[in-house]
This record gives sequence, structure tokens and C-alpha cells, in this order.
Amino acid sequence: MSCENSSCSASNGEPTATRSAAPMWIIVAALVILFVGGYYFDQHSGWFDPKVYAPYASGEKLSAYQPQSGEAAALAKGKAVYESVCGICHGSDGLGKPGQAPALAGSEWVVAKGFNRLAHIPLAGVNGPIQVAGKDWNMAMAAMGAALPDDSLAAVLTYIRGSWGNKASAVSADDIKKIRASMGGASVPCSCDQLKAMPE
Amino acid sequence: MKTGVSIFTTAFVALGASWLSLVYAPFQQLGGAKQTIVLQSTDIYPLQRTGEATLGAQVYRANGCAACHSQQVRQRDVATEITLTDLGVHKPVDFADFVKSLSELPELALYKNSLNANLKDWNGGLPKTLWRGTDKDIAAEMADRLKSVGVKSETRIVATGVDIARGWGSRQSVAADYLYDTPVQLGSLRAGPDLANIGVRAPDVNWQLQHLYAPRSLVKNSTMPAFRYLFTVQKIGAQPAPEALVLPKEFEPADGFEVVPTAEAKELAAYLVSLKSNVPLYEAPFTPIIPTK
Repeated sequence: MSCENSSCSASNGEPTATRSAAPMWIIVAALVILFVGGYYFDQHSGWFDPKVYAPYASGEKLSAYQPQSGEAAALAKGKAVYESVCGICHGSDGLGKPGQAPALAGSEWVVAKGFNRLAHIPLAGVNGPIQVAGKDWNMAMAAMGAALPDDSLAAVLTYIRGSWGNKASAVSADDIKKIRASMGGASVPCSCDQLKAMPE
Repeated sequence: MKTGVSIFTTAFVALGASWLSLVYAPFQQLGGAKQTIVLQSTDIYPLQRTGEATLGAQVYRANGCAACHSQQVRQRDVATEITLTDLGVHKPVDFADFVKSLSELPELALYKNSLNANLKDWNGGLPKTLWRGTDKDIAAEMADRLKSVGVKSETRIVATGVDIARGWGSRQSVAADYLYDTPVQLGSLRAGPDLANIGVRAPDVNWQLQHLYAPRSLVKNSTMPAFRYLFTVQKIGAQPAPEALVLPKEFEPADGFEVVPTAEAKELAAYLVSLKSNVPLYEAPFTPIIPTK
């Protein structure tokens, strides 16, 4: 007896392989596993970098553990201080924010040959009209740096003088100490004219 | 066979994928490995072994040393350690109180117990390890606070893990350590200690030779077999041979005889003292302890 109807093939006749769609839940489960695996891979593999071994999860984490020379360490510290103290208004890109704070990138106050005037700004604060990089500002900045230790302030000034295209000399903690001493504890915000009256 | 093509394709893809991931990808990753520079120096690492030591690697292989010895230091994590070196004007007791007050700060509260435990039985001796932890930023913050009160401290990066605690190395083994090994003899069983840094622990060739001839003359409870066939016991001639082993009494051969290493024993010893992987590298950084004179 021939069996032309496939419904009877299970009971008699040769079994044949037929194609059938995979159930939806398998496809969904496979995609979920793929996603979790991909996420884990991204977080932990270091992307096949031959230099990255466990316990370092990525090249960035590994480079954070590299011993830094004096200059690099100061810059890294300056960046950290900048981002927690200054960057909120001046922007982490140093371009300033309209209505909040002028740009530091390309500012003549920042890249001046000497840093005496520049150091007075965070140590005493600024008040009143001031021109920065061709733009007029009339605002007040509090003495944000007065509470920072000498080396942190030196690091952050070094950082802003050497970042975003600025190329000016570094500032040392001793320099800050001297400037702080010369101010004699005064914390009255300077005006632009007062700053200009100081040596560079 | 209707499904022949799909079986072939499936098998080809499966084998091809394993070839890609087990052969091709590792070759892309490490096939071009070259010598590197030791961190914070201009020294090149690793250096090619001497000819004698290169031959010794084959003696090591022939005698199945890798069956009982691994050459691979494992590392669990990396920690930052703060060591006090100078208290300045502070007294140890005041200082302990200061640290206690620090540990009340919200960002350091997590470390309160470990800080207090470290200072509990401190008699004021320096240098003193104040803290060890995996959070680098917290360590930097602590160092900053110590600095601001005039206390000098050193921050060191240390590798941690059981192998490192056993003194088998300062950091984990990485691919660069095996650059000149053909074949790489990693070993998988540790009936004996790991040998990745045996040249650091026992840099004396004579110690290695004596240990090969009579392990228990140097390490009392050693389970290592004595490799006596790598040595010749010969009658002392007109003068004793200059390279004859100096052995303790109970391991000496009969009167009038001396133990002389064969060329193979000397090569093996040269290979063993060449096993050193204790320098910091970019991929395995740590702060080396510079010996004070």
C-alpha cells in the first residue's frame, strides 16, 4: 500500500527528514546568549590586544597601572583636579561656556610667558570686566584654587598651560608657594586692572 | 544523498571556524612578538640565552622536567600598596589617631577596618605598610592626604596571588617570557615548585649541580629524583678535578672517588639559572623593590 499522504509516514514507510522552522524561543534564547556573551567580551577581553592579560580587563585599565614619570604624573593629576574643580564651568575641552566662563584654550592670560597673573586668578578670584581672547566678560570668579594644596594647583596650571593647543611653561609647587606668600593671605578678588598692574 | 552539500558545508564551517580561532587568530595576536623594553629603563627583555643554556633547554626536555615542574606564575589581581617611610613631626600614636579620623570620611569608610587592623599592633617602626587594596584612586587620595600633613609615603604597585605569595615570582608570566623557548615547556603538574624564576631564587650554578646530583643534600624533604646519570663518578687522579662537586659527608662517593658533572648537567644548570622573569613589563607592571645598600 503506497502512502502518498505525509501524515501516515510516521507509522509506515521510510522516515524522511523534513525542514521545519526553529521555534521562536530558541531564536530568542540564542540572541540573548549572543548579546550577554558579546557584552562580556567587550568588557573583559581587551579586544585581543596581545599586551592585555587578566586581571587587566582592557588596555585602558592596564595603562592606568603604568608607572608615570614626573611630568606625565603631574599632567594626569592636573587633569583630574581640572575636571573636578575647573571643568564644570570652563569645560573639559577648555573652550569655556557662554555665560559661565571664558575659554582657557588660546587665552592670553593662560599662555602668558610668566604665570604670576594667571596664578592670582584661582588664588584670589577675579571680579569685573575682563577681556579674554578678544571677547569681553563681566563676571566674578571665586577663589577656587585658594583651598587647593600647592602641588595640586601647580599641576592644574601646568595642565591648562599645556593642553588644547596651549604651549606654555610648567608651574612648580614652589612657584605657587612663593606667589601665595607674596599675597600675604589676601583673598579679595582682583580686577582686570589690578592683574595687569602685576608682573607677568 | 540529498544532504551531502549541506553536511560538507557545515563540517567545513565548523573546522574552518576552529582553525581561524585556534590557529589563525593566535598567530595574528602573538606571531609577531618581539623583544620589549623593561619598564622605566632601556634594558631589552628577554635576552637570547647563551649557547650552553639553549642546549640545556633540550636536556630539560629530554629528562621530562616539565612533567613535574611548571614554568608559569599565575597572578590573581593587582594591588596598590602605601608604605609609610617618614612620619615627619608626627608621633606614631597621633598618627594612628589621624588615620582613624581619616577612616571616618565617607569615601574611605569602606577601608576603615583594614586601616585600623594594619595599625593595631604597630610599634612605630618604619617603613610600615599602611594599606593595600585594589582601588588605585583611593590609594592616590590617601597618599595625597598623607602628604598634606607632612607624612612621606611610597605608593607601590604589587601583583597578588598564591604563586606570588609563595615567592615564585613578582608578577605573572606573559608571552614575552617565552620568546626564545622552542618548545615552550609550560608544564601542567606541580609535583615540584614552579621554575619560572629559579634563576632568581638559586642563581648559583654549583648549587644547581649539587641539587641535581643529590636533591636531599640541599632540600631535606625534596621528592625530586637524583639525576646521578648526568654525573660521572671517577677515581681522583693526580689532582682532584676542579669542577668536582663539593658534597656533604653522607652524599660523598667512596674514598678516592669524585663526582664530576657531564656536559649535559652543566648545560641543564646553565639553563636553570637563565630562567628569570622578574622584571616589570608594560603588560605586567609592578614596582620593583630597589635593594638599598
